[in-house]
Amino acid sequence: MSLDTLKISPGFESYMPKEYVDLVERGPYGRDVKVSEMGTFKEIIEEHPMCAGCAMTLFIRTALIGLPAPEHTVILGTAGCGRLVLSQASIPFIYGNYGDTNGVASGLKRGLEIRFPNQTKDVVVMAGDGGLADIGFSCVMHSWFRKEKFTTVMLDNEVYGNTGGQESGMTNKGMVLKMAPFGKKFEKMDMIGLAKTAGVAYIARLAPTNPTRIANVIRKAVLIAREVGPTYVQAYTSCNIEYAIPTPKVMDDAREVEKDRYGFMEIISDEAKAYLERIEQEKKAKAKAVAASKAGA
Amino acid sequence: MYAVAQIDVDICSATSCRLCTQFCPESNTINYDIKRNTAYVAVDRCKGCEICVGICDNLAKHHAIKMVPITEIVEGYEMSKLGFHKF
Repeated sequence: MSLDTLKISPGFESYMPKEYVDLVERGPYGRDVKVSEMGTFKEIIEEHPMCAGCAMTLFIRTALIGLPAPEHTVILGTAGCGRLVLSQASIPFIYGNYGDTNGVASGLKRGLEIRFPNQTKDVVVMAGDGGLADIGFSCVMHSWFRKEKFTTVMLDNEVYGNTGGQESGMTNKGMVLKMAPFGKKFEKMDMIGLAKTAGVAYIARLAPTNPTRIANVIRKAVLIAREVGPTYVQAYTSCNIEYAIPTPKVMDDAREVEKDRYGFMEIISDEAKAYLERIEQEKKAKAKAVAASKAGA
Repeated sequence: MYAVAQIDVDICSATSCRLCTQFCPESNTINYDIKRNTAYVAVDRCKGCEICVGICDNLAKHHAIKMVPITEIVEGYEMSKLGFHKF
């Protein structure tokens, strides 16, 4: 919640685990880290029990790089694969009951605004397609209608991967799965369209084929959620177990699906666009002032 | 016994693509050494998914990463023993 709570008290350095010391000394805190710098700093995610070659892990890893202020962020999740890695990250993680993630996030965001009036705290909901489009659907829609200022990220693996391969609302029509032997009978839910109807300020759809793009999209979504309104990111993160994709082919599958039906798409409201431009200008002016003061000195 | 990724330092240091560090699904598993200008693998964290091999062969076209049985790796870098390298 704050960098101060992460820092090790003097005298305790030698007793802390190596990984923790590395995180405090060489973590991504207090500065803008770029995707191209990955591998040269300690990331906020530690070792985790997710499957080898999981595209969801890749997405979450790069998404957490994109967070503008990881030390001031709270992540909410629910039952599903994503929580296995999110709970191993050095970010407060709230494991909501199935279905209420966006309800909890609404209350949390409002509470944080009252508790920390001088600080910006970001709330991000990161859950699967089952948690957001099926079981948590009502809370998701209502948080959007109420224009709650936080980010919702859907990790869309198009199946209930954790429980053995049941169809979800986001599974494609006709898909045969272990627990859907006759194939799904209904169309994939159009969550992007629903978000548009609800007036979400920033909507993005992407596949994890371009790490820089993932980080940029998450950064934009979190920044817009601070000031303008709700934001929604829908990411294709294939389940290589339930869809039987050999791990070396995971990226090929992501590229194929991206080309076929999951192309990059961004819908941004005028207000959000103006806000982003304003931030960019402020950043440039600040950099200019710093350069000028350096030249003067 | 399972295979983990191994990076050919000679090929990797001749380039500066860093793509494998970005596409590895595991955090801090393929790290980057700025001094030697090469990527290196933390063998204790590698789950052997081979995504980096595909990225290096097909996207970067450097062919620097190979899967090697864990028993054949001599003095592999282990993060749990050495901690994050300070470069």
